[in-house]
Amino acid sequence: MMNLTAFVHSLRCSLLHIESRLLQASGLTLDKQLAPSLAVNGPSLLPPVDMEDEPEEQSAGLTDGILWMAVPKKRRTIEINRTRRRDENNLLKVKNNIEPCTECGHLKQKHIMCGFCYAKVCKETALIRQQITAMEGGPLRAPAVETVVVYEGETPSELDKDKRIVERGRKRPAWFS
Amino acid sequence: MATAMTGHGMAFIRNLSGVLHSRLQVLHPQQLACLHTSTPLESKNWERSNLKVYPPQGIDEDRRPAEVHHSRRQIKYSKDKMWYLAKMIRGMSIDEAIAQLSFNDKKGAKIMKEVLEEAQEMAVKNHNVEYKSNLYVAESFSGKGMYLKRIRYHARGRFGVMDKVNCHYFVKLVEGSPPKIEEKTSFDQAKEYVQSLKDRTIIHSL
Repeated sequence: MMNLTAFVHSLRCSLLHIESRLLQASGLTLDKQLAPSLAVNGPSLLPPVDMEDEPEEQSAGLTDGILWMAVPKKRRTIEINRTRRRDENNLLKVKNNIEPCTECGHLKQKHIMCGFCYAKVCKETALIRQQITAMEGGPLRAPAVETVVVYEGETPSELDKDKRIVERGRKRPAWFS
Repeated sequence: MATAMTGHGMAFIRNLSGVLHSRLQVLHPQQLACLHTSTPLESKNWERSNLKVYPPQGIDEDRRPAEVHHSRRQIKYSKDKMWYLAKMIRGMSIDEAIAQLSFNDKKGAKIMKEVLEEAQEMAVKNHNVEYKSNLYVAESFSGKGMYLKRIRYHARGRFGVMDKVNCHYFVKLVEGSPPKIEEKTSFDQAKEYVQSLKDRTIIHSL
């Protein structure tokens, strides 16, 4: 019995609350009675209060910066993307200056030395340099004279008398004139 | 005991297969069409097309040119960058293609050259191609491989997803000399257009 009365009371309270809220929302409340009936425009007693400054920007114009940044307006469609990527200018050009090397037969570009022949020369040069380091015996001992490479079965000529002679124990390669 | 168990097992499997079969038959053909039996990740259809065997040709038929399909998967390169190289060598003879790729500075060019040389060797060894130079690139294209996702850090605690790209490269070599593409001049095309306009007739007229 106690519970029932309490329940009914709470229901009534909530209904009254809802009613007052509805009236407030609709605007049919009796606030007019409480509001002042006469309003006079007189001098204000307090100095005018300026509107608070705009909440200061987070940091040195970042938010402003984002607003005027250049940004794409629309998604570029795949057709537009394809026409740009497959445009003639962007495609790779076929080279027409490739020819076989006359010495070794590997392919080379007209204005560039053949890669195979260059590797051949590099190898021999490395061996000559090894010989030179062996002759010198240590760093910073290069003599102040020119160097001449002499192969098997050759003697240094008259002009090469004063030069340093590096001997390589092999036949002179065909490309080393 | 074991045989009895296996007997039961076999009966069970047969029953299962029967049930599945009946279930599949109940499905409409249109519904069956969207059933993927093999995912794109496992299906290596390009390599399998090399296993296709044609029936022997008749005496009067033209000789079918030999075809070799070859590919390389999961190349550490971008499919868009690879596409430019693939587009360059389309329709070239294999010697010309290898020459062009050997003097191209791109990373994909070296890989593509290896693939072409492997394909050439396969053609001579397994696919009854007589001369290794008598091949041309019929099809060549790149596809997307598996991507790894990583975080790319931006300013102000923001992040983006960085894709570590991989691509596949597919090539089909066909025996014979490369087919000549007839280049139509713009004047010819214009002439054809005018002719098509002149050939128009009015239907159901007197």
